[in-house]
Amino acid sequence: MSQQEISSSVAEQVAGRTPAGVARKVRGLSDRAIAWIFIAPTIVLLLAINVFPLIWTVYLSFTNFRANRPNRDVEWVGLRNYERVLTDSDIWHNMLVTSHFLFWTMFFQVLIGFGLAWLINKNFRGHGVWTTIILLPMMLSPAVVGNFWTFLYQPQIGLFNYVVSFFTGADPSSFQMIGSVDLAPWAIVIVDTWMWTPYTMLICLAGLRSIPDYIYEAAEVDRAGPFRTFWSITLPMVMPFLMLAVLFRAIENFKMFDLVVELTSGGPGSVTELASINLKREAFEKWRTGLSSAFAIILFVTVFGAANIYVKALNTVKSR
Amino acid sequence: MATVTLSGISKQFGRTRAVDDLSLSIASGEFVVLLGPTGAGKTTTLRLIAGLETPDDGRVTIDGADVTATPPAGRDVAFVFQQYSLYPHLSVFDNLAFPLRSPARRVPEDEIRRTVEQVAGMLRIGHKLMNRSTQLSGGEMQRVAIGRALVRQPSIYLMDEPLSSLDAKLRADLRLELKRIQRELDATILYVTHDQIEAMTMADRIGILSEGRLVQIGTPREIYADPDNVYVAARLGQPSINVLPVGVLPAPDVPANAFSIGARTEHLRIAQADATSANARLDWIEHLGDQNHLHIRIGDFRLTTLADPASDLASGEAIRVEAAAALYFDEDGKRIR
Repeated sequence: MSQQEISSSVAEQVAGRTPAGVARKVRGLSDRAIAWIFIAPTIVLLLAINVFPLIWTVYLSFTNFRANRPNRDVEWVGLRNYERVLTDSDIWHNMLVTSHFLFWTMFFQVLIGFGLAWLINKNFRGHGVWTTIILLPMMLSPAVVGNFWTFLYQPQIGLFNYVVSFFTGADPSSFQMIGSVDLAPWAIVIVDTWMWTPYTMLICLAGLRSIPDYIYEAAEVDRAGPFRTFWSITLPMVMPFLMLAVLFRAIENFKMFDLVVELTSGGPGSVTELASINLKREAFEKWRTGLSSAFAIILFVTVFGAANIYVKALNTVKSR
Repeated sequence: MATVTLSGISKQFGRTRAVDDLSLSIASGEFVVLLGPTGAGKTTTLRLIAGLETPDDGRVTIDGADVTATPPAGRDVAFVFQQYSLYPHLSVFDNLAFPLRSPARRVPEDEIRRTVEQVAGMLRIGHKLMNRSTQLSGGEMQRVAIGRALVRQPSIYLMDEPLSSLDAKLRADLRLELKRIQRELDATILYVTHDQIEAMTMADRIGILSEGRLVQIGTPREIYADPDNVYVAARLGQPSINVLPVGVLPAPDVPANAFSIGARTEHLRIAQADATSANARLDWIEHLGDQNHLHIRIGDFRLTTLADPASDLASGEAIRVEAAAALYFDEDGKRIR
């Protein structure tokens, strides 16, 4: 049998074993039907716990419904809830507090996270152990971290005040991180940074590890010094990762609730009262369900819009 | 351009000796090709000259100055990596301009533009300057990588199999191009490859490497016609040299201590023969168009050689093969001259 005869007979056998149509039926069900059966549970679940509550919240935001008086007649109030939220000076104060918290936590977490990733990426002896140790805070429950830091911030017996006094010589009981109006906004920034810097570090580390060695070797031969290598190679190549870390953290911190409630409950006064903390008060302490629904929708649209603009920016950086 | 000398260089990775007591001198303006199979220590030799590796032993000098302990930036060498190693986030222009924008040597921006455009034109990538380096084809990427070396006038260009990942047509084009550019710039180039055609066509001198050692170095002609041993002889020639035990192939003036005979295509005489004078059989003919490959069985051994496509030999025929001349090797594979 010649080469050609062999190959043509093989082709025939293969052709014979391939089923005629791709859209075949199993027990009367088409491929498409089977696909729907597989994804239906997930879709039902999503509709029930994500999409329906969202639509219901939108509806409630136009009413004067109060969840503690479910039997009262529900009145349609139009845009009045939105108007009240947007003209409420307390809520604007909450937004300012949230912005302060958001900006400084992102600032420190990017700076320190990148720095740690840079050091870990040097692959010194025992860098694996250090990575694990650095990651620990992130794995703790926010409630535990909050509780734990209220002890550290304790003016008389707290370790934090002691360390500050050790380095500055100031009397440890002369300042209160949580109790003082000036320091409390920074106290929550410090704790969130302590807890979530490992996260930015991890993502930056992935970015740094993705830069192949030969790029650095090429730069070395091209006589780029350490500074130039950092600015024109390392940083631009890690940038997409860094921006992704900021996106995730910023969305999380915009909604920050648990950690800060545990630490300060929004106090003293309302200097650490983030938007989500006030939202919870409006909804479940004052029972203004309609108003808080409008508040929640405004927060949702804000974070959704900002995230979309940000993702656009991220994509331009990635495709540059 | 400068003279580069390696004296007694050794480099060990774990338990493998990548480079073993290697000495080599490359004259200014010379194109030297290191040829050898994978793992022969070619790339390590280049990296040692570039300063990307530090030798365990020996010295590297560039223009008489000892640079053994100098980092890559201080050696003024240009390196073309096998895997392109373009800066992925930069445009082609910025990739080419990168080495010129070194803060150590403030080149004015209009001069950078001129140089980059000139080199890009030379490599025919002038129309791609504004592209991102990741949007190029393999051939274009490799030309950018070569261009990034050419924008500078370093003491030596080090090239690590720069053409190996390109298709045959492009490889042939760039081979010619590279040789032309080298002549034009009077550049000193150390070029590493496992492709004997690249070595034969471009090199002023070829160095044959085996297991970290420089086995022989000489002009392509010398290496081809006058190899020191079987290993070197087998590196060049297409089809490669036929090495047979003495006595299998009739040959003239066989030295007494010869162990094996190396017969290249041009050494062999082939003729149709009758049953009494025939000593071989023609197994198979490969028709390549401009030439034919003959696969010959002689005794228990096989030979491959070339034949005129117009010859009337047919496969299955009994033939007579003799060597009109040959290379003789002793028991250790050393050449007997």
